[in-house]
Amino acid sequence: MSASVLSVKDLTVSVRMDDSPRTLIDHVSFDLAKGEILGLVGESGSGKSLLCRTLVRLMPSSLITIDAGTVVLAGRDLTRISDAEMLEVRGGEIGMIFQNPTSHLDPVMRIGDQIAEGIRYHQKIGAAQAREAAVEILTQVGFPDPIRQYDSYPHEFSGGMRQRAMIGVALSCDPKILIADEPTTALDVTIQAQILALLMDIRDKRGLSIILITHDLGIVAQTCDRIAVMQGGRLLEQGPKRQILARPQDPYTINLINSHPSMPDQATGPAARDENPRPITKPLLEIDDLHVDFRSGGSLFKAGAKTVKAVSGVSLQVMPGETIGIVGESGSGKSTLARAILGLTEISSGHVTFDGIDVGQQRTAGLAKLRRETAMVFQDPYNALNPRMTIGQTLAEVLAVQGKVARLAIPGRVGELLDLVGLDREFAQRKPRSMSGGQCQRAGIARALAVDPKMIIADECVAALDVTIQAQIIALFRELTLKMNLTLLFIAHDLAIVRNLCERVVVMYRGEVVEEGRSDEVFARPKHEYTAALIAAIPDIDPDRPLLGQKASGSVQSILPELPVKRMPS
Amino acid sequence: MSAGLALPAAPAWRRFAGRRLTLVVGIAILTFFLFLSVAGPLVAPYDPIFQDAAARLQPPSLAHLLGTDNFGRDILSRVIWGAQIDLQIAVIGVLFPFLIGTTVGTIAGFFGGIIDAVFMRLVDIILAFPFLVLMLSIIAILGPGLGSFYIAMALVGWVSYARLIRAQMLVLKGSDYAVAAVSLGFSRTRIMFRHLLPNAIAGSIVFSMSDATLVLLSGAAVSYLGLGVQPPVAEWGVMVAEGQSFITTAWWIALFPGLSIVCLAFGFSMLGDALGELLGVHE
Repeated sequence: MSASVLSVKDLTVSVRMDDSPRTLIDHVSFDLAKGEILGLVGESGSGKSLLCRTLVRLMPSSLITIDAGTVVLAGRDLTRISDAEMLEVRGGEIGMIFQNPTSHLDPVMRIGDQIAEGIRYHQKIGAAQAREAAVEILTQVGFPDPIRQYDSYPHEFSGGMRQRAMIGVALSCDPKILIADEPTTALDVTIQAQILALLMDIRDKRGLSIILITHDLGIVAQTCDRIAVMQGGRLLEQGPKRQILARPQDPYTINLINSHPSMPDQATGPAARDENPRPITKPLLEIDDLHVDFRSGGSLFKAGAKTVKAVSGVSLQVMPGETIGIVGESGSGKSTLARAILGLTEISSGHVTFDGIDVGQQRTAGLAKLRRETAMVFQDPYNALNPRMTIGQTLAEVLAVQGKVARLAIPGRVGELLDLVGLDREFAQRKPRSMSGGQCQRAGIARALAVDPKMIIADECVAALDVTIQAQIIALFRELTLKMNLTLLFIAHDLAIVRNLCERVVVMYRGEVVEEGRSDEVFARPKHEYTAALIAAIPDIDPDRPLLGQKASGSVQSILPELPVKRMPS
Repeated sequence: MSAGLALPAAPAWRRFAGRRLTLVVGIAILTFFLFLSVAGPLVAPYDPIFQDAAARLQPPSLAHLLGTDNFGRDILSRVIWGAQIDLQIAVIGVLFPFLIGTTVGTIAGFFGGIIDAVFMRLVDIILAFPFLVLMLSIIAILGPGLGSFYIAMALVGWVSYARLIRAQMLVLKGSDYAVAAVSLGFSRTRIMFRHLLPNAIAGSIVFSMSDATLVLLSGAAVSYLGLGVQPPVAEWGVMVAEGQSFITTAWWIALFPGLSIVCLAFGFSMLGDALGELLGVHE
């Protein structure tokens, strides 16, 4: 861990558009030592991905050019060598893995062949030998049956296994450096923990240097040796992990650390509301033995349709004004549950009673009531808003259709709603594509509030946002639930967020509720082993509280079977 | 900076100008033909159906800039008068298939199930026949003429629009904003036409421009076969048909109306490209 493998000095990258160059990477310098894991932290748009693409000269556009600086790898300046030499470096010296393994693996090529291809290209060996080497790599990255799985296609694997395969492809040519660009962002926490453990394991075995790009400081705290913080194309600070986490110098880093959801959040925590117990009333929402099945396969002429039980036997009572977190991994049925409650998905059996009306029995009356008194906030803020309408039009339409506000009062109410969610009133004129993710999500919340609902269901509404924005949206929800006595069903895969926002938490696994209780109790003393595993898998920002309690990578797998790939029926 | 890195990228302004150029050229060509169709009677030097027995099969000259045909009619005047009819063919021949196809596609895609199945089998049936054969049979049943051509076009042409819109609707109805609209209590009609259709239609608008070219050519083909516009009316397709037998001796009779068809078609496809960029279809 002494000599540096890669040395970047004053790297400056800019893009030329409309004749005026704009600097994207501003004089970035850092060294990567052998066997070191460097965590590159920053929010979306900070330039961290571009920086790493620049190292291998794979800039996303030909308008982006390196203006100054050097990238020295084994005595060679990568910014100066020819394109032919660069081909040797990519894969051979520097391997890359990406956020979304699904789109970076060739869907019509066998997993094993994708690994063998690189080996044959770089090491110039025969097909049979390459196959052996590929099987060996599949074993190393944790495929249980590599000889058979060599011949499988990417779609046959879960997200976690695909990411393992991607790591296998990157490792195929025995690179010195591995660049991992948000490798676990698309994965569930328990799978994330496995992949991170795998990366560390590979580092230990091969002496590989890894640049780990992430927006999650928890991951960095758990895996990296050194941290570099980026914002707006500049490297704000870098240093050993413990030093940065314990004594951050830059205000941005301090903010980043404070917004991490695993930070205990005292003053405004949900416990504050429990001081004055609310009078016992009728529950606003009652779910009784709810089942939702989807038919998959089969058709008009072909029997043998299988039913997939997305939700099986869920019962839940929600009191007015309560804030409930529903937690589970992808495929656990939490989104289906949300849609079933709102009458957006057919119920197979069981009852949903909202404010005294059984939605299954009195369908028309129940749906009418649900539409007027509940609203939903979605995961992807851009996809949830009609791209051709301005925010003002979107809000005004809801108000007009709901008819709760007099027609003349609508423009004024639109302004009030924007104030409520902390958006400038000028956003009424904007369309979603000219807004950031956080702003769009605020607009989505404003649309939900336009209904003047008793209950809001938020489905993974912060999963697509940066941590500091996440913290803002959570704070907004907290403020709104207090101010307007809203009932909130908050669906998330991130336990840490739920802990800070919700009084009660419901843990779902494979369509069933495995645990339910007050947030602090569930977190302190989880009763079900799945909940315990889920909590243990959260990367804590404190490096002294290691992932999963220990470094053994095999243990999680034994607790948790691989979940099937998520396929949300529409 | 290394040599390999400095890829000769087109400067941003030139790409922008290039995009603008297609729009400008497309609009210019269409405006030109629109002008001809409106002001044709004023600018045409001769009566398009006046037969001058003394001036038969004249090559292009100062008196007859594009020459005359076998009846001694002035080609230039006939080409100018033809603009009116051919532009009409392109516009009406696209408009009705577009309206029918969009409505059917929206409904089929949104409701799915049995409605979708019925409409899509109908589409399959129509697509199972060669386009022109079906057109010609319908026209043959209805009797030759421009009206029959429009009806045949509407009956056959809507299928492409229906398919395009249906596919878009299938994608969009699963989008979060469609689900949001349902959960906010919006009516189906509102969701279909106000929220989903505006987002689905861009591709069809662009396609309609290249479809205009196709319609124009089928109009010309039908007229050429004697089932569309009837002589002596000046229509480009008819003119090409008439000039065919003189192609070796009097090439100008078929060439200039043919060029006009190509030009108008080019204008439509330029505009289609530019609209595609503007509406963000390629994003």
